[in-house]
Amino acid sequence: MTQLSPPTIEEFAAQVAQYNRDGQKIAILGAGTLAGMGLPATRQHQVTLSTAALTEIISDAPSDLVICAQTGITLRKLSVVLAKHGTFVPFDAPRANLATLGGTLAAGWLGPRRHLYGRVRDYLVGTTAILADGVIAHAGGIVVKNVAGYDLSRLYVGSFGTLAVLAQANLKTRPLPETSRLFLAPLPEGSSARALDVLHTLAVTPAAALWICGFHSDIDGEDGSEGRVLIRLDGSAAILERATRDLRSALGRAGVPETRVLNGGAQEVFERAIDAYIATLGERSITYRIAAASADAQSRLLELRRLATTFELRVDSIVDGFNGDIVLRISDLDARALAAKMTIFDDALHDIEPHARVIATDHPNRRGLNLWGAPPPGIERMRALKAEFDPNGTLNYGRFIGGI
Amino acid sequence: MLRQRLIDAIGADSVKTAPEDLSVYAFDGYSVGALPSAAVLPASVQDVSAIVKIARDCGEPIVPRGAGTGLCGGAVPARGGVVMSFARMNRVLEIDLRGQRARVQPGLINLDLSNHVAANGLFYAPDPSSQKVSTIGGNIGTNAGGPHCLQYGSTMNHVLGLEIVDDVGEVFTTNIDDAGYDLTAALVGSEGTLGIVTAAWVRLMRAPEAVRVWLATFASIDAASEAVSAIIGAGIVPTALEMMDRLIAQAVEAAFHCGYPTDAGAILLIESAGFADDMQMYEDAIAKIVRNHGALSWRVASSAAERDALWAGRKGALGAVGRIAPNYYLQDVCVPRSSLPRALRAIENAAASNDLVVGNVFHAGDGNLHPMLLYDKRDPRAVAAVIATGNEILEAAVTLGGTISGEHGIGIEKRESMTRVYSTDDLATMARVRDVFDPRRVLNPEKIFPSGAQCPEVRV
Repeated sequence: MTQLSPPTIEEFAAQVAQYNRDGQKIAILGAGTLAGMGLPATRQHQVTLSTAALTEIISDAPSDLVICAQTGITLRKLSVVLAKHGTFVPFDAPRANLATLGGTLAAGWLGPRRHLYGRVRDYLVGTTAILADGVIAHAGGIVVKNVAGYDLSRLYVGSFGTLAVLAQANLKTRPLPETSRLFLAPLPEGSSARALDVLHTLAVTPAAALWICGFHSDIDGEDGSEGRVLIRLDGSAAILERATRDLRSALGRAGVPETRVLNGGAQEVFERAIDAYIATLGERSITYRIAAASADAQSRLLELRRLATTFELRVDSIVDGFNGDIVLRISDLDARALAAKMTIFDDALHDIEPHARVIATDHPNRRGLNLWGAPPPGIERMRALKAEFDPNGTLNYGRFIGGI
Repeated sequence: MLRQRLIDAIGADSVKTAPEDLSVYAFDGYSVGALPSAAVLPASVQDVSAIVKIARDCGEPIVPRGAGTGLCGGAVPARGGVVMSFARMNRVLEIDLRGQRARVQPGLINLDLSNHVAANGLFYAPDPSSQKVSTIGGNIGTNAGGPHCLQYGSTMNHVLGLEIVDDVGEVFTTNIDDAGYDLTAALVGSEGTLGIVTAAWVRLMRAPEAVRVWLATFASIDAASEAVSAIIGAGIVPTALEMMDRLIAQAVEAAFHCGYPTDAGAILLIESAGFADDMQMYEDAIAKIVRNHGALSWRVASSAAERDALWAGRKGALGAVGRIAPNYYLQDVCVPRSSLPRALRAIENAAASNDLVVGNVFHAGDGNLHPMLLYDKRDPRAVAAVIATGNEILEAAVTLGGTISGEHGIGIEKRESMTRVYSTDDLATMARVRDVFDPRRVLNPEKIFPSGAQCPEVRV
């Protein structure tokens, strides 16, 4: 397959228009870090158009707390630019050194700090998008409040490049917290439920709380008999002192004897935990994500673990204590052992969790899996939107839910 | 035919057809729309669905309506049809305390939701100044804002899922956690043109532990604007940063006696909310910044009563202006924060060149301006001057990189101005969404999109 990285938005649009006219299918690519979500490009796709050359920062207005950038810029580069002015966007997407802004938006990535800071979509105030027919369409603007017309920018978020190619994004930013602190605590027998409960009673809501079981080669820390929690606090120095005391004492009451502060490299540890969401074990693992409510995430995880055990699959898991996401990585000894049971397991898993989605796998047979889970109630409208925006099915054809 | 079928479906008590009843539904906060063929008061999603099906059979459009406080003609018929009021669907349906969310009916009054959950230490963040009367459904329609958007974002950021009756009367639901396109994002702010909201899951926030309110005065709007930029630039995002000019301050003080200085060129009302431990740090930092920017005075609200008094002035500003002019026209534009001084000068010039007096009361932290043009609507020349000035203000905002509405919506009022900010291609892209949700244009027609004459590729 040909891969092209048009150097300007106009040339990108001209390429899209040309392939669309010729009835050819285009795969749209950022860095490909989230390529494990949805179906990969096939022989049907004659060309891959990458945003890799669209990396310019168009305007940067720190005192307005907005930035406008082309979407091929990596999250790392973006965060370095923002950090110079003491600002950030709390996207928390994996592999930030490679992941592009456009890919993060197109995937609608859901980070662990969103209960505190809001979702990726809440930071997108305007877009320049390339439609399937090559038209360059703007939506929103560069101001932080704007109700002029439909919010197409947010509609593009999470659409996996199937409605339009995001070429440029106007983002709202926020001031970096004065300081952050990361904690790790192994959870002894019988403590996990109470530990997750007490986090909700703290006066200072943690910025993230991940209950991790396994993922030893990916995330720092040792499991207790019920795993470990990784907790992040963001705030002023004064608040963090108080919050640290409260956190330790609350976890202590929940039966967690040791809550260790990670001194130095806390940001790297946090990023490694996020990277683990999509870390595969070569071709021998599949990672699912399930949207749960924080109150029942734990019981649902236990049921999923029981299921995996009956299939003699190994399980690593992360439960987001505030947002409720369950990340479940199942693995076997090798790709063949996994292949023998993965479709039956996938069916059984979807019997329990109909909306479970695959977010990472390198297994060659992933087409046999129900990658997006059961279609949502609005699926017919979604298909109609696709048909309206991209009648020839030119953009990322087949990548998304329901064959979109 | 239409009226009888509506009565058969939902009962005579729920269908208004008398001219004196219908005339009420020809108004919202903007001006007079067309008289509807009927006004209906559904009590359930089944009622809404039945009404849409009947209206469809009879070839009548539907205009959903909350409390009618909108300022752009979004809730009035452009040409007859059935106005659907949600006054009887005003309940809180479900509260999920741990998940911090509530499921509510669209007719629920905004402030009632916060009051409902206050005992649990929660609140609903979007707070348009109409919040004592405006409804959650109406707020969703316009993607309503308010002073506290600065910290918490507009209504969009607080809607987690919707129950919708579509253009043919079928019910569907959306959820921002579902896989697939974010239909919730398309629907919020669509002013009732893509579907009718019959229930919503909304996010509740934890009430802050501590709140402080400060009042700073400046010799000029420019000096105050520069202080605003400096505060934000210093990495402090207060929960609200509201500005009033001298005219508004004087009107408010005369009406409410809330202690506003009346001799300053601009007043800045600043609120920070968060943790008690942080408040002194914020206070010291903000005080230093405003002093460095030439503040004439600095006041700390020392009690909850004093805080409420300072806010009462801001929230009552629109009403207070009624004391100094028979009528006012409230404009709503948003510009990059750093362009505030230039935008305000452009507003002042536009008003002066049309012989109008203008007052400014606005969300300075967001760059969201609300110039109030004072006039007497019995004077046709003044009305013409207001229209001309309003357009000049829109043009100035767009020239400065801003937009034609920050939080009020487009409705009928600003539909022709959409071409100031969007190209034909941009508008045609929006129209594609409309084509999917409402191909026959039965849901709140002739709103948002400019009329065909100016924009042939975009169907209204």
